[in-house]
Amino acid sequence: MKLEALPWILLFLPLCAAGIITLFTLRSQKLSAGLSIGAIVSGFVLAIALIKSGGWEAREFSLNWLSIGNLNVDFGLRLDALSLMMLLIVTGVGSVIHIYSYGYMHEDEGFSRFFACLSLFTFSMLGIVLANNFLQLFIFWELVGVSSYLLIGFWFDKASAADASKKAFLTNRIGDFGFMLGILTVFAVVGSLNFAVIQEQFKANPALMGGSATLAGLLIFCGAMGKSAQFPLHVWLPDAMEGPTPVSALIHAATMVAAGVYMLCRVVFLFTPEALTVISWIGGFTALLAALIAVQQNDIKRILAYSTLSQLGYMVMAVGLGGAGAAMFHLTTHAFFKALLFLGAGSVIHAMHHEQDIWKMGALRKKMPVTFWTFLVGTLALCGVPPFSGFYSKDAILAQAWHAHNYPLFVIAVSVAVLTAFYMFRLFFVVWVGDVRSAEAGHAHESPGVMIWPLRALVVLALFGGVLGINEIFAAQFSAAEHAEASEHGLTLLQRIAEPFTNAPVAAGIGIIATLIGFLTARGLYATAKSDPLTSKLGWMSRAMANRFYFDEIYEATVIRIHDLAGTISNWIDSWIIEGLCIGVVRGGTDLTGRALRLVQTGNLQTYAFLFVLGVAVVLWLTLGK
Amino acid sequence: MTTLTLIFALPLLAAVLLAFIPRNFAVVMRLVALVTTFITMLLAVKMFWNFDCAAADNDGYKFVATIPWLGSHALGIVCRLGVDGLNVGLVLMGAIVAFAAACCSAEIKSREKEFYILLLVMTGGILGAFASLDLFFFYFFHELALVPTFIMIGVWGRGEKRNFAAFQITLYLSIGALLTLVGLIDLYLQVPAEIRTFDIPSLTRFFVEHPMALASQSFIFPLLLFGFGVLVSLWPFHSWAPLGYGSAPTATAMLHAGVLKKFGLYGLLRVVIPFMPQSAQHWMPILAWLSLGNILYVGWVAMKQKNLNLLIGNSSVAHMGMIFLGIATLNLVGVTGAVVIMIAHGFLAALTFGLSGYIHSQTGTLEMSELGGLAKKMRFVGVAFVMAAMAGCGLPGFLNFVGEATVFFGAWARPGLRLVTVLAVWGALIVGAVYMLRAVRATLHGPLPEKWGRLPDAVLWRKLPYAVLLASLFLFGFAPKLLTDKIKPVTQQIVDMANAQEIATQAATVPSPVTGVSTNGTKPAPGGVKESGK
Repeated sequence: MKLEALPWILLFLPLCAAGIITLFTLRSQKLSAGLSIGAIVSGFVLAIALIKSGGWEAREFSLNWLSIGNLNVDFGLRLDALSLMMLLIVTGVGSVIHIYSYGYMHEDEGFSRFFACLSLFTFSMLGIVLANNFLQLFIFWELVGVSSYLLIGFWFDKASAADASKKAFLTNRIGDFGFMLGILTVFAVVGSLNFAVIQEQFKANPALMGGSATLAGLLIFCGAMGKSAQFPLHVWLPDAMEGPTPVSALIHAATMVAAGVYMLCRVVFLFTPEALTVISWIGGFTALLAALIAVQQNDIKRILAYSTLSQLGYMVMAVGLGGAGAAMFHLTTHAFFKALLFLGAGSVIHAMHHEQDIWKMGALRKKMPVTFWTFLVGTLALCGVPPFSGFYSKDAILAQAWHAHNYPLFVIAVSVAVLTAFYMFRLFFVVWVGDVRSAEAGHAHESPGVMIWPLRALVVLALFGGVLGINEIFAAQFSAAEHAEASEHGLTLLQRIAEPFTNAPVAAGIGIIATLIGFLTARGLYATAKSDPLTSKLGWMSRAMANRFYFDEIYEATVIRIHDLAGTISNWIDSWIIEGLCIGVVRGGTDLTGRALRLVQTGNLQTYAFLFVLGVAVVLWLTLGK
Repeated sequence: MTTLTLIFALPLLAAVLLAFIPRNFAVVMRLVALVTTFITMLLAVKMFWNFDCAAADNDGYKFVATIPWLGSHALGIVCRLGVDGLNVGLVLMGAIVAFAAACCSAEIKSREKEFYILLLVMTGGILGAFASLDLFFFYFFHELALVPTFIMIGVWGRGEKRNFAAFQITLYLSIGALLTLVGLIDLYLQVPAEIRTFDIPSLTRFFVEHPMALASQSFIFPLLLFGFGVLVSLWPFHSWAPLGYGSAPTATAMLHAGVLKKFGLYGLLRVVIPFMPQSAQHWMPILAWLSLGNILYVGWVAMKQKNLNLLIGNSSVAHMGMIFLGIATLNLVGVTGAVVIMIAHGFLAALTFGLSGYIHSQTGTLEMSELGGLAKKMRFVGVAFVMAAMAGCGLPGFLNFVGEATVFFGAWARPGLRLVTVLAVWGALIVGAVYMLRAVRATLHGPLPEKWGRLPDAVLWRKLPYAVLLASLFLFGFAPKLLTDKIKPVTQQIVDMANAQEIATQAATVPSPVTGVSTNGTKPAPGGVKESGK
């Protein structure tokens, strides 16, 4: 078999699995799960084979998909360090979560449908990763949107799930609106959709886009804002937790929501300094906002969801600060530890019979030891405790802010680190330590092996992900793109472990102190708490945080109302003016004419004779009289 | 008899045959209709498949056939049929939709004989109108298909407003057809008496060589634009469509919304724009703004509907806006996109009306407040409906996306249309998604009301029409080149004719053409000879 076929097989295997499950194997659970899991595991193996055979070199395979006039769209696959690494993440973390789902979804009647949707998602996500041009990226962008819609609304007979899926899709569509316009703007100037071609044109002539450059960049960023749930389009992600927990882990934590960051890194050459400033501030603001909201949530999945938002904000901020490599590094480690945390939370929810309120849990440490230890590792990694993976990647972002001398954003990033440690240890103490708070918590038991082993696998990555040299691979990609300097020589393991302290010791030190502060505060408040002491201490602030700063209400009162009003007005005009008046006039007019003419038809001979004579007289006058 | 003649004649012959079958053989009626439309569909697929390697005549038409005994030589009327890239896709789409419509007619339980005769007449009429190379028959076959619509709504329609719907649709469409007739006759009279003809290729050649006087253009163009526009439910002449479709029997709505409505658009592209380029240049920006009326305004109206069929009907009107916008760009990318949407929307409209017809036949209502949670019971119908909704809001993978994206690219290439495009993208991506997802949420998702606890899903043979339509949308959506490579040469020619004057004046003043993507320097080919592969 030729090597060129490998990426195509990798991409289309999940689609085939989804198709076959939908058409043929809906009745056989084992077969459906086998197909879906088989597709993604083979994808992982193929991805490794691709890296083994061709290394991290950039290469492209493409076919012409559509060609009309100057609009040439390829269906192409681009392999380089960025996409190959992302392939590993998507298929690797994806495989683990697929296997976990087999246990988690076991009793669900929609089991086969679940795996079909999961495979459809995998296909779409791989498409985003491999796309070599804007339109193809947009195509798969929409497809992950729809798979996310299907999976959030998986339990569609539950009204809240059905509403959440709709909300997620529509909010994403708002982002895509900007994204599409951005693509149109770029295409109108550059005349090509291919990333490599656009990049070359930009290299040859940086002022190519002229005045529209910043605008185009920000429009494209809109797409990332929707998918990566950045402020002000962040409202859909917490609601998306209505989906099954493996979905939250795979789509709404590890992969799809990271697609926005991935896309920004893919086209980072497009952004002007002004656009990057906006991007970094939106990222920083989202990180802070979401972390604040997370402090006062009581649903275990929602806390993790806001944490995801906050971490995505970090990544977007890093891109804005010029650290695409750091952003991708954090994306990678975040995929490991956040998937781990969500799967751990899923294990807890499974044991608690679908109870998600943390204040009904407690003392689960002894009942579910494996989940406990793995969850602890995830928490430490997320909080950025050395030497866990999260420490390295978060430090890379802090260092980026420090080196860019952007101190306001550095301060924001550090406060987010404090808050992160605080809300995660709040969760930790309430769920795992303390007293048993409900009957379910008393009867909880450890989950089966098919759910536990995926956790163990992710623990390894969450532990060591920071020192595997992932950041160097990304750094090579972006430095090669920008300065074309020689690829970096590999560091030894020890150097990698010490790297944060040699690179930016102040940033690393402050980061560790921040984590410590967050941890100590959380321990003081929650180690033995029966209910949340913060609620009364913070007063209205707590209420605002618990109500997510009323963003949903604000949107309800503005965007949704305006569309509703437009709809009402249009509908009124349609039914009363266009349909009622116009048709009414025609109908009434015809009717009236008919009635009037009937009056003339009296049947009286004298009247007819009289009218006849009158008519003759008029005709005579007309012809002769003038 | 060529394939094309058979495609159009079979349904008409079958209609005649049905007239001789006694009315208590209802099953036979249905069987004849099914078999006929199925064979027609197969023939259309065969023709589409063989299109690329078939021989073309001097004007680029393939499968050309003349029916000698039909027409009047004295008046220059000859029944000549043929297809090029523009209508081959439409004929294929029409034939597939006709088969699906015949499949979905099982709900008709009274006067089956008349219904199936009318259905077959409608099918033959539509296919004839698309295939006809003669202006007279082009119009005549359309009327042949149009009149059954009114009768079908009046006799087999549903809902209390059925009579008003039939009245309104008759009124509007008759006015539209009348305006068109006046315009077409006037067009015919523009040719000197000794060479007068209804032959479209000859007329095309004539008007390329002898451009029509500006005064005549500015009179005939608006007549035809709005005449055809009314037939396609151009805003603000659209209100007949949702109510008409909402009250029509399923098969009628499928055929009319899917196929017959494309007649006006086809007329605009085949006759109006190439024959009257200067007026086209003048009117197209106005058409672009009117298209927003369809996309945004009707989209908003769709958001507020409480009845599923009215929602679908309004969405179908909204989709027409995208086609109008594509045509208004007058460049290769935009016009090609418009043709793609014409075909895509045909499949989609038939699919959505077919599915809502199934829901209606099972529940007896389409009020969305009464429905909900149906996906639990109707697995297949639910999945198909979600797919249709997704195709309706332009999801990639379905053909509609290809068309819409192409129209956006075409419209963006016209700097004057940027604002319209921004609003159209909003309408397509957001307003479209809002009402489509609302329909899904209200009918399929949410808790299942108790009274629908025993609804049956579609049995295997009832799945067939939906499967065929979905497969068509997927096939062309995945491999759009199957369509666009056929359409491109013809739209290139139309666009060149429409822009001939512009190119000439620009060449005289500024050296660099800025009209957009279409102006790659090609002049209209003399004698209308098509050159493919530009």
